Amino acid sequence: MQRALWSGFLRSSEKFADRSALFAEGKFLKYSELRAGACRVAATIQAHVDPSETTLTAVFTYRSPTAFIGVLGSLLAGNGYVPLNRTFPIERTQVMLERSGCRSIIVDEGSLPQLNKLLETTSAPLLVLAPDALDLTSYKQQWPQHTFLADHELKPAERWREPAFELDSIAYLLFTSGSTGIPKGVAVAQRNVTAFLDYMVERYEITETDRLSQMFDMTFDLSVFDMFVAWERGACLFCPSQKTLIKPGKFIKDSELTIWFSVPSTAVFMKQLGMLKPAQYPSLRLSLFCGEPLPVSSATAWLEAAPNSILENLYGPTELTIACTRYRWDPVCSLAESEFGIVPIGYPYPNMGVLVVDDNLLEVSPGHEGELLMNGPQMSLGYWKDPAKTAAAFLAPPGKSEIYYRTGDRVRRPLGNAPLTHLGRIDSQVKIFGHRVELGEVESKVRDACGYDGVVAVGWPKTDSGFGGVEVFIEGRESALEKLRSAVAKDLPEYMVPRRFHFMDRLPRNANNKYDRKAMQKLLEEGL
Amino acid sequence: MNAATPDAVQDFLREYVAKYLRGQGREVPADLSDDCDLLLSGYVDSLGLLELMTAIQDHFGREIDFDELDAEQMTIVGPLKRFVAEKLARP
Repeated sequence: MQRALWSGFLRSSEKFADRSALFAEGKFLKYSELRAGACRVAATIQAHVDPSETTLTAVFTYRSPTAFIGVLGSLLAGNGYVPLNRTFPIERTQVMLERSGCRSIIVDEGSLPQLNKLLETTSAPLLVLAPDALDLTSYKQQWPQHTFLADHELKPAERWREPAFELDSIAYLLFTSGSTGIPKGVAVAQRNVTAFLDYMVERYEITETDRLSQMFDMTFDLSVFDMFVAWERGACLFCPSQKTLIKPGKFIKDSELTIWFSVPSTAVFMKQLGMLKPAQYPSLRLSLFCGEPLPVSSATAWLEAAPNSILENLYGPTELTIACTRYRWDPVCSLAESEFGIVPIGYPYPNMGVLVVDDNLLEVSPGHEGELLMNGPQMSLGYWKDPAKTAAAFLAPPGKSEIYYRTGDRVRRPLGNAPLTHLGRIDSQVKIFGHRVELGEVESKVRDACGYDGVVAVGWPKTDSGFGGVEVFIEGRESALEKLRSAVAKDLPEYMVPRRFHFMDRLPRNANNKYDRKAMQKLLEEGL
Repeated sequence: MNAATPDAVQDFLREYVAKYLRGQGREVPADLSDDCDLLLSGYVDSLGLLELMTAIQDHFGREIDFDELDAEQMTIVGPLKRFVAEKLARP
């Protein structure tokens, strides 16, 4: 049955009104309080903005109670939300706001100092809600074309009316880095998110006694899991401040978390900083990782530190709504099922279809590698106001009538009941003197040889037919080069042996903290 | 092993931040003042700070228990460099 994304929260706010829904900025918010705050925001948007004009509201906040009130308030007003992040360069935020066409925006106290700059590039009149502000006179004078509402100017919660729910209502519009450098917006429908949530809360048997981490910024779609899985069943969400984020171990203990969800990088660094000592985190019953490949060594170290926890590796691009495959770590068989020292991505969620195809989009036979295509109820609406990009990524392969999303990820089509294994990005496969080289394989050998987890291989230099060789970037301290080179060369054909190793304290990363291979290529172009 | 005076730590921090900002195509500050908060200045993000701490340990060749440093202090250049230098000075 189709339902609105806010329905789970409303149900919990009635059933668990006096339980805590959120911990942020050092204080707890009860379900009743979170609901009241969200309804005030929603009622105000409903009173001021004509719904025929736009269906999106921007949320310009960072880890504050107002951030969560803003997300729920947007949804309760019948709008999708567009998360903006004040820790991003303001130019990027300006582009996101302008491209989204939002006519309303919620701003928290910490983001107000950037508001003037943000409004410089805003063309249409905007309704600005600042629930943390008492006085907005200076803004009103500077920007007469926009409407500014401080805390006391919001409508009372009682004025809120539940909006009609439409099948393709957008839940959120999330900008991801585009290959051209201009962020592209992925439009995710409420029905995509509820399909995801229904499976997650059942699978993990979430109850009102659970305590979930909110490690992800709202501009990363994995944050949607944290918020809505918690609120669907009356659980409490713990949002660490920017400062607490750097002490994840203390955060788990102080908050007595039962459910952890982060990128694997966090586990990698906790291990290096001695924060994964045996049995340190007995409160955890479930640990989830998603967003990048999970090294086997990190998974096993995590489980030693969280002995009462099960561990699952999730996989999913934003276009398929948060996550769409899962793999549960099993001490008996998981080592054998992992490839290149990386935990498998496992099995598709129910109702999600999988196709593994070759360059011509024809299905490969079991046991062979290819690009992963998926479809099903979590397949999003496509790219915001960009039919050309949408048509290129969401398509019907030859001989198929159904539309699939092209993930750009390389996987092995399973033999029998084996799990899917992630082998790298399609664009991480390069041709070197005509040989097909999977850069992930080079990275895995180097990782083993040098002991650092942060390793990225890049094709270099460019030739007409591909690349002349491979160079490798390592996040770590330079160590015995000759030893490293010979250890790698022992296992690889000559054309795959890295020509140079570059050691850096920190490898270039994109906005979501994933390694940025293009930036490293650029360093080489600039003569590194 | 590198000598670990507060100045040496400061030099390392400045180089680290410069490399990070250059990698992002951003402007590099001439120096880092003692009261500069690396996190609030946007010189590193939270995951970047974990990486920075690993890099400090690697650079100076010693394990350091950062749990003893207050979270409010550990992102600020002055307290951070004095803490690291003090830790490294102990046998």
